[in-house]
Formats: sequence, structure tokens, C-alpha cells
Amino acid sequence: MKIPTDPVTLATPFFILSVILEIVLARFGKLKARYETKDTAVSLSMGLVSTLSGLPIAGLSFAAAIWCYHHRLFTIPMTAVWAWVLVFFAEDLTYYWFHRLSHERRAWWAAHVNHHSSQHYNLSTALRQTWTGGVAGTWALWLPLSLLGFPPAMVAIEKGVSLVYQYWIHTEAIGRMPRWFEAVFNTPSHHRVHHARNPRYLDKNYAGILIVWDRLFGTFQPELDEEAPRYGLVHNLGTFNLLRVAFHEWIGIAQDIVREPRHTLGWLFGPPGWSPDGSRDTSATLKTAWLARQEAKPAPVKREAA
Amino acid sequence: MNIGNLIQLAVSAVAVALLVGMAALMTRGRAAPPLDEAAARRLLAEEFPDDRLESLWLAADGRGGVARAGKWALVLMRIGDGYLARRVVWREAQAAQSRGGRVTIALREPGAPRAVLAFAAWPPPTAKGEAAT
Ligand SMILES: [Zn+2]
Ligand SMILES: [Zn+2]
Repeated sequence: MKIPTDPVTLATPFFILSVILEIVLARFGKLKARYETKDTAVSLSMGLVSTLSGLPIAGLSFAAAIWCYHHRLFTIPMTAVWAWVLVFFAEDLTYYWFHRLSHERRAWWAAHVNHHSSQHYNLSTALRQTWTGGVAGTWALWLPLSLLGFPPAMVAIEKGVSLVYQYWIHTEAIGRMPRWFEAVFNTPSHHRVHHARNPRYLDKNYAGILIVWDRLFGTFQPELDEEAPRYGLVHNLGTFNLLRVAFHEWIGIAQDIVREPRHTLGWLFGPPGWSPDGSRDTSATLKTAWLARQEAKPAPVKREAA
Repeated sequence: MNIGNLIQLAVSAVAVALLVGMAALMTRGRAAPPLDEAAARRLLAEEFPDDRLESLWLAADGRGGVARAGKWALVLMRIGDGYLARRVVWREAQAAQSRGGRVTIALREPGAPRAVLAFAAWPPPTAKGEAAT
């Protein structure tokens, strides 16, 4: 059996041990974490099956990456340190836009929603991964890296590194990291905001490893002491049925298209919650309503830091 | 998929079972408390901040409730240790079928097909003792 080079495979024993540790330490009050049995079962089962979900299109995505690499603009050596530094930034930027697209357009949200459907935020939530990322085709967003000249294997390894990095930030056990770290990197605090359903936290902090992309592109939102994140979806799921959890948004899209086929493009590529008559909630309408409520409230006594 | 992958998958499946068992063991006896009126009102205010509640009925087992706000029924149903909240047209909720002390309100969503709540009498009596209309 050859030694795996896939960072996710290598990290799996660490995933298992750290979830055990988080559960046990939380039980004895040593750290902050909330677990619920069915929720944990769904998260981990989603993670387990997601490792297989790439298989049906593995041939296609691999062939596409090889084709791009054959037509590359530059030849970037996998052995050079500068090449790894470069691929780190390039992959992380790609991840930011992949993640933003996954939240802002329903066809891709249908695949990504799975990662957000838990009302919990613990290490097992990190493993709640989609089964439909392959068919959603978002892997194509990484093809330009191979076209630039990064070997497909290098891109694949860097994608794995990013996924492994994002594991440890799914926890309530860590409050804030040192200030310099919070400024540059994605952290538990930043990602708690990303998983929150509070209107002011919606569609923020898309970062993979570097939070600087959110600061740069205007999607950064710090976690506020006065507003604790409430986790999950705007409309939380009412079932632990694995098939419903995995496919509910795809089924919803299909039902909408069948009912009103002339709005197919809107149903597919509008923001999640889009409807022709505007009768459903989108991030934008929820934020607007929240802002209106804030403005209607009597002005609170300012508690500004000195 | 080769034999190595299959072994890896089998080991992961065992690990998942172990972790779920662990979570069950460690959270035993820590079930969320039944929903009382204050908690229900707080949840509803969070979920439906723009609605004004006229009446609120709690499920007999404390696992949810229904509030009326004008033409809407605001439904809460326990899911895991959290809650699902949905807005349903009041008349539809009112017409929901009740059997064996449970009322099933159709939500008609792939991710939340129905809310099942413990109500001995449905539709719920109003404060005046009449069936709410
Ligand atoms: Zn996300
Ligand atoms: Zn996450």
C-alpha cells in the first residue's frame, strides 16, 4: 500500500482524535462545545460519503486539469519553494471566489448548503461536507491554475491543505486568536460569523486560509461580543433524514422549475431565496429588514471602546 | 477504487460509529428542557421579529408550539436540541389533521416536510374558550 500524499487522508486520524477530545472535554466542562447525537451522526455521515462523491466525475475533472496543464502558459516546478508560496496564494484566492459563488448563486448553494445545515458549531461540523460538489462543477474554478502552469497534483495537494486548515476553526472552544493572527488568517471567530444565521452575519467571511481576501473584497465582518452567532440556515431543516439533508435544495430547485419553468434561470442562478414575486427571504431582504429594525429602535447608549 | 481505499472507507465508517456513540454517551441526561412560554416567546421574537403575537399555544410535551399572528401561524418544532421555525397560513394550520394527540402541519419543503406537535385538541381553543378562527 503506497503512502498517501493527500493531506485530508493524512489528517483523518487527527480529525477523529480531536472530535473525541472535544466531546469529552466539553462533557467535563473543560471547554465550550455543544454536541447532539443525531446532529453529529448526520455531520460525520455527510463527511464519510462526501469522500466518495468526487468519484463519478473524477475522470472528467482529472482529464480537464491535465488538458489545461498541457496547454499551460508557464512551466512551474513542483520542487521550488517559490512555486508553493505562489500556489498557496493562488489557491486561496480561488477558494474565496468559489465560496462566495457557493453562497450567492442558488445552483452552487444547493451543493454548499450541506456544510451549513447544522444548528451546531463544533469540530464535527467541519466534516459535514457536500455530496454534490462534483456535479455542481465548481472544481472547474481551479482549472485556470493548471492553465497557468501549476501541476494538477500541486493544486490538488494545496486544496487539501486548505481543507485541513479549515478543520480546526470549526470550534467554539477557541475565543480569539492573537490580534495579528486574526488580522491575517481565518480563525474560529471569523468562521463562526460565516456559519451564523443572524442577518448581519449572513454572507460574510468567505475566506479559506487568509481572511485578507474578505477585507479586500468587502465581505469581512468581525464577530461582535454583543451579538452571539446563532448557527445554521435562515430556515433550519426539520429532519435528520440523510437523503433530505443532502439533496433538499436540489429538490427545491427542481420543484420550482417544474412549477414555473419560464423562471428557470432565476431559480438556478438567482441568489438563494430568490423568487419571481419576491415573496421569499434572501440575504439581502433579511439584512434590509434587520437594518430597518435597528433604525426604528431608540438609539442605544453608546458603549465605545476608549 | 482499490482495496486500500476500501479498507480506509471501512475504518472511517467504524470511526464514525464510534464518535456518534461517544456523543450519545457524553450527552446522555442532558436533554434540552421543555419549551416554556418565556422561551417560546423569546424564540419567536428572534425568528419573527416583525410579527405581533396574538395567542400562543405550547405543545403538551414541550417540544414546540404554535402562535397566531394575524393571518399567519408561527410554528416551532424541536429538532435535535434546537428548533425549526416556520410561518404557515393560519387557516391551513388550523385545518391540519390531528390524530392520537398529535397534529401534523404540512410545511411542504424538501428539507422540512412537516411539523408534528403534541396537541390534544386541535384547532387550539382561544382564550375565550372558543375554537380560534
Ligand atoms: Zn460557506
Ligand atoms: Zn465551515
